[in-house]
Amino acid sequence: MRYVQELKYGLHILFHPFDGFWCLKREKKGSLAAALTFVVITIMLTTFEKQTTGFLFNTVRLKDVNVVVDILTVTMVYVLWCVANWCLTSLMDGEGKMKDIFIAMGYAMLPLILIRLPLIVISLVLTSEEGTFYYVLSNISYIWTGFLVFFGTMVTHQYTFKKTVLTCICTVVGMGIIMFIGLLFFTVIQQIITFVTTIYKELRF
Amino acid sequence: MKKKFLWAPFAIALTLLSEPLTVKAEVPYETYSYNYYSEDVKQPHVYIYEETLNFKNFDTPLSSPQDMFVKDDIFYIADTGNSRIVKTDPSGELLLEIKWASNEKDPLSKPQGVFVTDEGHIYVADSGNGRLVEYDGNGKFLRTVGRPVTDLIDPDVVYVPQKVVVDHDGRIYVTAYGINLGLIEFNLEGEFQSFMGAAQVSVSPFQYIWKNYFSTKEQRARMATIVPTEYSNIFVDENNFIYATINNLTNADMMNGADAVRRLNPTGKDILRRLGHYAIIGDLYKSEDNKWSSFIDITATDYGCYFILDNANGKVFGYDYDGNSLFVFGRNGNREGNVMNAVAIGANADASMLYILDYQLNGILSFSVTDYGRHLLDALRLNDMGDSEGSIREWEEVLRLNSNNEFAYTGLGKSFLANGEYKKAMEYFKSGNNKKYYSKALYYHRKELMEKNFGKIMALLAVLVLIPVTVSIVKKIKRWAGEVKCDMSKN
Repeated sequence: MRYVQELKYGLHILFHPFDGFWCLKREKKGSLAAALTFVVITIMLTTFEKQTTGFLFNTVRLKDVNVVVDILTVTMVYVLWCVANWCLTSLMDGEGKMKDIFIAMGYAMLPLILIRLPLIVISLVLTSEEGTFYYVLSNISYIWTGFLVFFGTMVTHQYTFKKTVLTCICTVVGMGIIMFIGLLFFTVIQQIITFVTTIYKELRF
Repeated sequence: MKKKFLWAPFAIALTLLSEPLTVKAEVPYETYSYNYYSEDVKQPHVYIYEETLNFKNFDTPLSSPQDMFVKDDIFYIADTGNSRIVKTDPSGELLLEIKWASNEKDPLSKPQGVFVTDEGHIYVADSGNGRLVEYDGNGKFLRTVGRPVTDLIDPDVVYVPQKVVVDHDGRIYVTAYGINLGLIEFNLEGEFQSFMGAAQVSVSPFQYIWKNYFSTKEQRARMATIVPTEYSNIFVDENNFIYATINNLTNADMMNGADAVRRLNPTGKDILRRLGHYAIIGDLYKSEDNKWSSFIDITATDYGCYFILDNANGKVFGYDYDGNSLFVFGRNGNREGNVMNAVAIGANADASMLYILDYQLNGILSFSVTDYGRHLLDALRLNDMGDSEGSIREWEEVLRLNSNNEFAYTGLGKSFLANGEYKKAMEYFKSGNNKKYYSKALYYHRKELMEKNFGKIMALLAVLVLIPVTVSIVKKIKRWAGEVKCDMSKN
């Protein structure tokens, strides 16, 4: 029952981001389980959306839909953001722990779920001329999530507005750096593996 | 057991013999079209190469011919290299040869254009002599139309008419070398009237600012002057509209999808319909040898389909009335059925044959329409005539032969839409990737559903509203009753 309460708490955050995120952290109103639930739902929504959005608003070719790619995209962005954010804020006197950041960012995804899910149904009945409704709502979902991510960071780390802006920009840069290092790592590993296998083959034959 | 064994070779021989033996040589090119996603999708051949007419039986064979006009399966060829006009038929018989204008002392010089009017009069763009010459159907000289008398052309500029068409009212339109003010229009009497349909100059703001404010005089002098494009060829259709092709477009123009074809009405306004998924520039990508399509000639059917000849890659592009890419075929090369340097295209009356004149091969390549092509063109023709049943029939045939054809789905969808079968129309538009018409069908389908189920929807709404209201009222009453009870118990 506590789990349901924690999920429900997302609705409070939606409209009261400052109180919401504050209590999320200090009063333990939410939990990692609930946050991850939102992430999983978002992942499911992404694939579901690609396959069932009405023909007029569906820009994705069904042939190109790949569930694995969708799962990886959302997870990667979520994890990368949280990790990069944590790396930065631990250096910049942020008060949030890794777990706090994961929870806050998970809850911030709620507007995506709440708006885009009904939007799928709406897209089936709207014509092109009424498409504005669809696009406006779709944009609102993104902007709202953006706001929640921003204020979530701000409240979790007890930052000023300016510092949050700076942190967010740096986080994006940090994500890029992490990705770059990751790729580098994989390439090097690949090289090593090839090297070792070559030597093994040389020795064997 | 033994008997069976004996029979076997005979049976095999029989099956082999009964196979149709009229196996045609492989068609030396591919036919494809571009789909909604701008991918080139192979499709059945629309036109198949038949033969090359070399006219070897002529006393002097063709030499670097530049233009061809096809009328009722008779070819009129501007045999530029031999400074003559040749009239011939597909069997290669020389029907008429025109070598001079009024008399033998006045020969033609490198004519680059030829046109035949409805009543059979032959107009020749006598390029070397800077004039047009008109003959009657038997090759009898009628008149010449000289250099246009106007201040708009610099007197130092040599007037070299290249292509000529005459519309059904007798107005003469000419493209001339180096004149980029548009088509030169002469009236019935052959007096200069005006320039028509000047190609608009497209200058990017960056280009403009750079050129006018930031470049030095030397730089400016070296820069190409921004001038309007010239037309490479013209064609007049049944309705007196003039199709004009443009081929000296820059790489940037092609990337931005500049218009390489225009359909000019008599006032010179471009009225070509561009409702396709992409600009009418031929191939959407550069060819393997890094060349964009370069339109050199165009021919149109009376139901608005037009076929454009691409000189750069030796292809023919078929478009429908709305500017959708119907098919692309042909290629440059040395194989039989490929072109070397295609310069002119013509079709017979029902477009069952296409003819391509080759400058380098000195001959005409003929292509005949396949069943698939026939159905495709007929579907468009019947649709244009308003015969929706006929066009449904043809579209179904097209789909049977090629289930990848998006236009067939759209075409069928349109027919269903017209018949009020919205749900079905929606499915077809979806298969044809046509969002515009899908939206239209959806609108009517939605309306129909709403009207049909109005009662149910209202009932559902009523139930949804009424139930909570009743529940809350009941609750309120209970609470009130409870309070009363409480009060009573207190008492």
